[in-house]
Amino acid sequence: MTFPLLSLIVFLPVAGAAVLMCLRNDDAVRWTALGFTMADFAFAVAMLAGFDTTTHEMQFTERYPWVPAIGITYALGVDGISALFVFLTALLGWICVLASWVAIDRKVKEFMVALLSMQALMLGVFSALDLFLFYVCWEAMLIPMYLIIGVWGGAGRVYAAFKFFLYTLAGSLLFLIGVIVLYFHGGQTFDILALTAQDLPFDVQSWLFFAFLIAFAVKVPMVPVHTWLPDAHVQAPTAGSIILAGVLLKMGAYGFLRFSLPMLPEASVYYSTLMLALSALAIVYGGLLALAQDDLKKLVAYSSISHMGFVTMGIFSLNLRGLEGGILQMFNHGVTTGALFLFVGVIYERTHTRSIADYGGLMKVAPVYTGFLALFTLSSMALPGTNSFVGELLVLSGGFAANMAVGTAAVLGALLSAAYLLGMYRKVALGPASVGARYEIRDVNVREMAAILPLAVFVLWVGFYPKPFLNVIDASVKNLLTEVHDKGSGQ
Amino acid sequence: MTGAVLFQWVLASLPEIIVITGACILLILGQLMRDGQDHWLVSASVAIVLIAALATLMLAGEVRPAYSGMFVADRFAVFFKFVFYLATVLTFLLSRKYADIEGIGSSEYYVMLLFALSGMMIMASSTDLLSIYVGLELMVLCTYVLTGFLRHERRSNEAALKYVILGAVSTGIFLYGVSLVYGLTGTTQLDAMAAAVSGDPFDPGLLLAVVFIVAGLVFKIGAVPFHMWVPDVYEGAPTTVTAFMSVGPKAAGFAVILRVFLNPLVAASDVWIIVAVIAVVTAALGSFVALVQDNFKRLLAYSSIAHAGFATFGVVAGGADGVASVMLYLLIYAFMNLGIFGAVIMMRNGDFSGEVIEDYAGFAKSHPGLALLMLIYLFSLAGIPPTAGFFAKFYVLVALVERGFVFLAVVAVLLSAVAAYFYIRIVMVIYMREPERAFEPALTPLVRTTLFCTAAGTIGIGLFPAWFLRLAQQSVFGG
Repeated sequence: MTFPLLSLIVFLPVAGAAVLMCLRNDDAVRWTALGFTMADFAFAVAMLAGFDTTTHEMQFTERYPWVPAIGITYALGVDGISALFVFLTALLGWICVLASWVAIDRKVKEFMVALLSMQALMLGVFSALDLFLFYVCWEAMLIPMYLIIGVWGGAGRVYAAFKFFLYTLAGSLLFLIGVIVLYFHGGQTFDILALTAQDLPFDVQSWLFFAFLIAFAVKVPMVPVHTWLPDAHVQAPTAGSIILAGVLLKMGAYGFLRFSLPMLPEASVYYSTLMLALSALAIVYGGLLALAQDDLKKLVAYSSISHMGFVTMGIFSLNLRGLEGGILQMFNHGVTTGALFLFVGVIYERTHTRSIADYGGLMKVAPVYTGFLALFTLSSMALPGTNSFVGELLVLSGGFAANMAVGTAAVLGALLSAAYLLGMYRKVALGPASVGARYEIRDVNVREMAAILPLAVFVLWVGFYPKPFLNVIDASVKNLLTEVHDKGSGQ
Repeated sequence: MTGAVLFQWVLASLPEIIVITGACILLILGQLMRDGQDHWLVSASVAIVLIAALATLMLAGEVRPAYSGMFVADRFAVFFKFVFYLATVLTFLLSRKYADIEGIGSSEYYVMLLFALSGMMIMASSTDLLSIYVGLELMVLCTYVLTGFLRHERRSNEAALKYVILGAVSTGIFLYGVSLVYGLTGTTQLDAMAAAVSGDPFDPGLLLAVVFIVAGLVFKIGAVPFHMWVPDVYEGAPTTVTAFMSVGPKAAGFAVILRVFLNPLVAASDVWIIVAVIAVVTAALGSFVALVQDNFKRLLAYSSIAHAGFATFGVVAGGADGVASVMLYLLIYAFMNLGIFGAVIMMRNGDFSGEVIEDYAGFAKSHPGLALLMLIYLFSLAGIPPTAGFFAKFYVLVALVERGFVFLAVVAVLLSAVAAYFYIRIVMVIYMREPERAFEPALTPLVRTTLFCTAAGTIGIGLFPAWFLRLAQQSVFGG
């Protein structure tokens, strides 16, 4: 038996949550939570360091029977794609703790417990090799997230939490039926690898594709099931927004990569044009909505819809550049948008307003803040030298190869993003201080810097030298593509 | 009849005999007892149930038919008996303090519960329509009385009256069906009936008989269209009795339904569509009407209708997996529903009724631990993993899809999404509102024990369902 590294990564936050339950002092709670999440991150780094990039096989696998009577196992393992997201989740974990250090001032213990359970479940989703285990983690996440939004959120939090809960629940339940149907068609097993190896008839694939699509599209979210996202984002506390944007939205896309493409290749190829069209719609529509926002957080939230459109477009372009770009873009979006939400949180803590009109001339009072904000804004716009440039370029070139019209629409979306992001930056950072700017603004402090800096490092690192990141996913993506095209060519 | 045969018969029904004898002794001793000694009653009642459980366990090894084919002690019965024991013991534990607060001073309360338990046990073991009837009547007569136990409360009286009248009508319908079956097949034994039925499943008279029997049994599990009594009776009855009724008698009803329909009458499967329609309509009505309830007990009443509907989906699925899924569902439901009722009972203290959902506003602030427990039960009732409620629903869905009822499975999950809405609404009130008043839950060690057991079951079966699933699968009749 090898060292159960993945179980350790998944269960360390659970252990942390258990320890937190016994603590009474708020500061002790914060430090303990930080300690556990950082340790978790360290193990994730170790996992990535020991990761063999030359193979697409699942690594660090563990397998124990769980409910043998119906073929459910406790199975963990990562390939290149999941390894990247385990790493991202662990990275954002401790950043979330830092982001809620002072923002959460009541029921700190409960909040941190929810945050850590959330992290454990997200890590479980990315490393599960058993469909049942995957579903349990995927669905159980609703509980802590519902509480994070509903208990610690803004004024409209209850409505937002409700909407988030019901949308994702309704989507996931159809996915559950899909899972069970897949179980019976795939030889009565929940083993993801075994199910991937099955060849299903096209009509079954089609039905399953749409059952899965509803669940994943709600999580991504794709237009028209995106309306829960702005509400949830705006009402959630900063850490909640970071998790939502950074990890939760990735799960939908991850679902496409792990289930739709490899298990339903014919249907994926057959419906790829539809998916590309929906992606283009999300890119343009999300961009237009973002353009119309006056609320900082809403702007970032709607921009997420647009950016996730790039991700799904990359995935369903079904070529190497598109897929690699899409996956890289998932990582980039987690880093960049996570950081932008962090920035919104930082300034909101000082001014208690999120209205863009209330700001102006921030550069004079908070140069470090606006400097870093510029970096992340440019990254979100996909300027060369930043991470998103690499990802977006790959997606666009993949998208154009797949479908000219969709590629063109995506370029339009990229232009839109420049418009709303630059506009936002101009109104917030440049020019004279606005009428509403009666506040004293301190620049970022050490704690905030500690959360921002690593994200900035990743923005530039991926921007200038994406090779190590592409290396991690390369073998898995190539294998995925062969699977899709070999099996999917029947159509 | 030789002595040896009689001995075997007595042995097979030993648990029932223990409970009935115990209840009779308690009835006499209870009259001699002075006020303020009911802790003694609780201990004695629990002891009787535990002895019966021990006897059940010792006899569980083999199938023991008794009383000339009217009664059998098999694994199927053993499984259900343990669900009944669980429900009864936890109800005893919850009742002690509640009885004090509500002024239920008499020993008959405990005796009635024991008699109801014995009725349910007979139902689970019956293999003849007449012994089913005996068990059924023994059970419902006790629950009629228990429902009206709050003599000074109008609501309670009204509920009891309503229950008695409707219950009597449903029993009449059931008996009519039984007499039709006897007239057409010349037997009331389930096995002989099966043999008779398999010849000509389209006999219209038999169809009518089946419909009558279905109607009588469906009343007991509170399924549509015989659900009307459930909200009123659940609301009016003492909360402990409501908790008991929602778990024990309901499971007993399902035990009979499984035995009657999945064994002999499965040949008449053209009437199966009735059961499917009942399942869909019951789950739908329970879920949708629960959405607008403000009274916690009424909401739980509708929720129990919805759950009965969901369990009926397992009956529709049929087959070994279908039966096992219903059994597992009822076991898990016993844990989570007694848990949430335990929480409601605990809130009843002083002038605080704990019956209105709004009463719970901000409960999480003052009692984070208890609120967390309620959260677990509610999410489990809603079927969210990793709680046991999820696995219960999951396995029913597996059984449905296995038999090719994918469309029904989709309907079932969509209805459970509707049901999730009202459970989550309670969580919202508990967690996301400001408290309006101070809470002083009536937390005795016994109530704590109950809440602990139910929480352990709700979480434990959710995380480690393997053992319970195997138990249910092995307890499907014939095993």
